[in-house]
Amino acid sequence: MRNQLKELRAVRGMTQGALADALNVSRQTVNALETGRYDPSLPLAFSIAKLFELRIEEIFQPEN
Amino acid sequence: MPTASSVPVRNAGRSYLLEFCAVLALYVLAIVARDWAVAHVADPNLVLAAKAAPVLPIWLAFFVVVRHYRRIDEYERLRMLKELSIAFGLTSCALISYSLLMDAGLPPLAITWAWPTLAASWGLTRAIFSIAER
Repeated sequence: MRNQLKELRAVRGMTQGALADALNVSRQTVNALETGRYDPSLPLAFSIAKLFELRIEEIFQPEN
Repeated sequence: MPTASSVPVRNAGRSYLLEFCAVLALYVLAIVARDWAVAHVADPNLVLAAKAAPVLPIWLAFFVVVRHYRRIDEYERLRMLKELSIAFGLTSCALISYSLLMDAGLPPLAITWAWPTLAASWGLTRAIFSIAER
């Protein structure tokens, strides 16, 4: 999957650490999500969507 | 995302380090106490208890790792399980290789080497994973 996490974070002026704290995950996890090395579980995807007040599909899209 | 502990994920590493260092210190203390008791204590029951004492910190170390696993987030859990899988494979191969090489003349190795070998393999795997992620 690809995602807009990095762009959304940048728009809100958040650091990776601040986003990690808001989601209660590690900064390494945020980095792995942003670089596409890790696709989140549904509960984490919902937490991210809730934080950015968007729908999951507005943040995460299939590669093809 | 549900975690099994009230400790924020951000603090999980520090808590783990503190707990693991405490258990390691307990292990060293138990080893020292065991050796001292064997040399200086006459009561066979006390000597037996001292000889068994290092077992406790070994099990505590296991529970510290499990506790850490329950504190970290889903990505770190996945990474930890991958690291442990590879470390388990490395440890198994290393110990079986050594046991076969003992037939070729290498000195006998105590079974207690399994634990530090696994710890070293895990550390090596973790370092490789960390470098690969940069």
